[in-house]
Amino acid sequence: MARILRRLVWLGLGVVALAVVSILLQPYGLRPVKLIETGLLAMTPLALAAVGECINERAGMINIGIEGIFLLTAVIGVYWAEVFGAGIYGILVGGVFGAMLGALLGVLGTYGKADQIIAGMGLNVMALGLVQYLLMAIWAFPGIHIFPRELVLPRISIPTPGGLLRISPITIVAIAATVLAHLLLYRTLLGLRIRAAGEKPEAVDVAGINVNHLRIMTSALGGFMAGLGGAFMPLAWFGGLVKEITAGRGFIALAAVVFSGLDPTLALAASFIFGFAEGLAFTIVVTPGVKEAIPFHFVQMTPYILTIIILALFLTGKRFPKALGKPYVRE
Amino acid sequence: MGKGFDGEVLVKAEKVVKSFPGVWEHLILDHVDFDVRAGEIHALLGENGAGKTVLANILSGFYTLTEGQIYVRGRPVTIKSPKDALRHGIGMVHQEFTLVPPLTVAENVALGLRKYSSFSFPIREVERRLRELSERYGLRVNPRARVEDLSVGEQQRVEILKVLYWEPEVLILDEPTSVLTPEEVDDLFRVLRNMADEGKGVVLITHKIEEVKKVADRVTVLRLGKHMGTMRVDEVDEERLLKLMIGDVEPFRPTRTRVKQSSKPVLRVEDLHVVGSEGVEAVRGVSFEVREGEIFGIAGVAGNGQRELVEAITGLRKASRGRIIIMGRDVTNRSPREIADLGVRHIPEDRRRTGVVEGMTLGENMILRDYRSQPFSRLGVLNLKFIGEFTQKMVKEFEILAPDIWETEVRILSGGNIQRLILARELWREPRLVVAFHPTYGLDLKALRHTHNIFMKLREKGTAILLISEDLDEIMSLSDRIGVMFEGKLVGILDAEKATIDKIGKMMTGIYAE
Repeated sequence: MARILRRLVWLGLGVVALAVVSILLQPYGLRPVKLIETGLLAMTPLALAAVGECINERAGMINIGIEGIFLLTAVIGVYWAEVFGAGIYGILVGGVFGAMLGALLGVLGTYGKADQIIAGMGLNVMALGLVQYLLMAIWAFPGIHIFPRELVLPRISIPTPGGLLRISPITIVAIAATVLAHLLLYRTLLGLRIRAAGEKPEAVDVAGINVNHLRIMTSALGGFMAGLGGAFMPLAWFGGLVKEITAGRGFIALAAVVFSGLDPTLALAASFIFGFAEGLAFTIVVTPGVKEAIPFHFVQMTPYILTIIILALFLTGKRFPKALGKPYVRE
Repeated sequence: MGKGFDGEVLVKAEKVVKSFPGVWEHLILDHVDFDVRAGEIHALLGENGAGKTVLANILSGFYTLTEGQIYVRGRPVTIKSPKDALRHGIGMVHQEFTLVPPLTVAENVALGLRKYSSFSFPIREVERRLRELSERYGLRVNPRARVEDLSVGEQQRVEILKVLYWEPEVLILDEPTSVLTPEEVDDLFRVLRNMADEGKGVVLITHKIEEVKKVADRVTVLRLGKHMGTMRVDEVDEERLLKLMIGDVEPFRPTRTRVKQSSKPVLRVEDLHVVGSEGVEAVRGVSFEVREGEIFGIAGVAGNGQRELVEAITGLRKASRGRIIIMGRDVTNRSPREIADLGVRHIPEDRRRTGVVEGMTLGENMILRDYRSQPFSRLGVLNLKFIGEFTQKMVKEFEILAPDIWETEVRILSGGNIQRLILARELWREPRLVVAFHPTYGLDLKALRHTHNIFMKLREKGTAILLISEDLDEIMSLSDRIGVMFEGKLVGILDAEKATIDKIGKMMTGIYAE
């Protein structure tokens, strides 16, 4: 309990620090509403993937291939959005395809007894190449694809004192998913079995539950959520597709997972901090008066530097499942 | 007591045969009959490898039988899985706990409940039922406690509750007392009696005769997979049980040359206390010395502190109290390397896990002890040519059967050949002290003789040997003096001439102390 409290204090300090920065920047024309808006958008794919991965790692699986899933589902999501003529279908297909990739990794890491780190890395590297190929193969244009504006998922406008706050419905889905994930893990028998599978798979096996099936399921669930996040980026955020669209966000999501100690609510909080930092960077880059003062590339580094700092501060003293990353083999 | 003799036969096993073809050539269970009646505590007595656990695992669905038939209340049944067994009313508490440490007691029980939806969380109900069961049988456990905060004895109670939750008619417990303190054992026996009084059939697997006498109504003795008899406990005495359990083979003794007995101690252990992996004190005040040219045997049933004693002497485990002195130097809690550098060699109990690196080749494994010294290596560079020749020599001398030195991963070698490798590596250079744990376990007769001859030769040359074995024949035929370990203490040290198998057997089971 004390550990969670300490983490929350750190988190609070982070929010305050970022708030101070944004207030300091206000005289230069930076609008806090705009900042929160971008922060929430940047948070969404991170939170979706991180929350899914929390559940997955609780069951004893590691999916290091979130970045790869992000990349592939971004492209595939856009393709199907164009086919169906609506962004929402693209995002859903992204989720389904992500689930398939997750299930594949799950089978490799359970029945295949594969090294999960290598399998995930393989997916990441494969995705890097495949995305460039897909962009050429589908749209016959290298590295970039701009799709019609109508495909971008509409946002919901909420009036606030600082102006209209336009948030994506997927952001609400991500927050709801966090709550559901928390309930699943701590308030259902299934969640109990998931947690036990990561700590002592033998106990789950003895109880007559198939550990491998359970883990493939969590891996697919994690993949589904990462897939939603991947398709979200072009279809509900950027409005376009480039070959490096994810920019390492898959790894930042993993950082959020590590930070959270596999607690979905903390993963959401961490995603918000990372997202906020990114939002800050985005906002600074386009704010006149500031963008001249601070070099563009330096600003862009902020989220990544923050990731390193937060990981360095919180990686110690964390308790991860005993059987994490180890295939379960009955004696 | 005695209520169970005319109770209904709940479970009966008839002419059960179990074999593991390809792994073991002999039958693990050889036409064994066994039955449990309502209201009785039935002990299943035998040494390690007698087949007690295998029989229990067959009844509880973890193994399937090769031949034979199981009846539940007179009806023939096929039990394919633990779940099947529970449906037939047979539950088993294993020696190894399968509890999830960070979860609470109730959560651990809820884990396996299939009658609730996966998306429900009936934890309050489970807690309530656990309290009921707790009270009914006198198994004191707080359902909301985290398992990792519980003592070993409490964890065992959780395991028992987990099985009782299914309301089994027959409860099998595999060596339940091995991890318990004496008071906890008494508590457990009271619980078992409560269950029997309620009309359940209780099966207690044990190798301790005193426990049989203390708590059981009937006893079935197994020896090497054979059914040695089933009898009422009040109609049989300890000596008869011991004889049934270990047989009355008189030891074959190799010719021993009388060595001039030196009084110079090589190893001296003073009031040693060691805490084991389970957090229980496993060695509780052991003192002895092993002199030059002496083989000091330690007999005892496995799990009475031998492992922890050996680990402390070889530097693998910290001693909590006492001193270990080797060649006049205090080496208590020193590193294994420092101790080895004094000329101490170790033949470990678990040859595959501690004795070798399974993924490395024969040649690499052969030099795990000596790789740092010339001519095996020079300035950190291995002399492969010399190592190859050396290994070749050892392979010949110790008759290790392996396809190749540099290609063969040790993983694929048989247990006997791995043991030969370890013996070669540890003994080729005439050590000052050898700590040998089950050195001949699993070896064929030829290799066994060979090993015994090496031990005898080393002894003549003045090496001190600490021999730990469960094989009484081996202990009796090799040792100059014999210490018997029981519950972490040396219950006596005998001169080999005065020792009889009967006397040692009694000391091993705690019936008798010197």
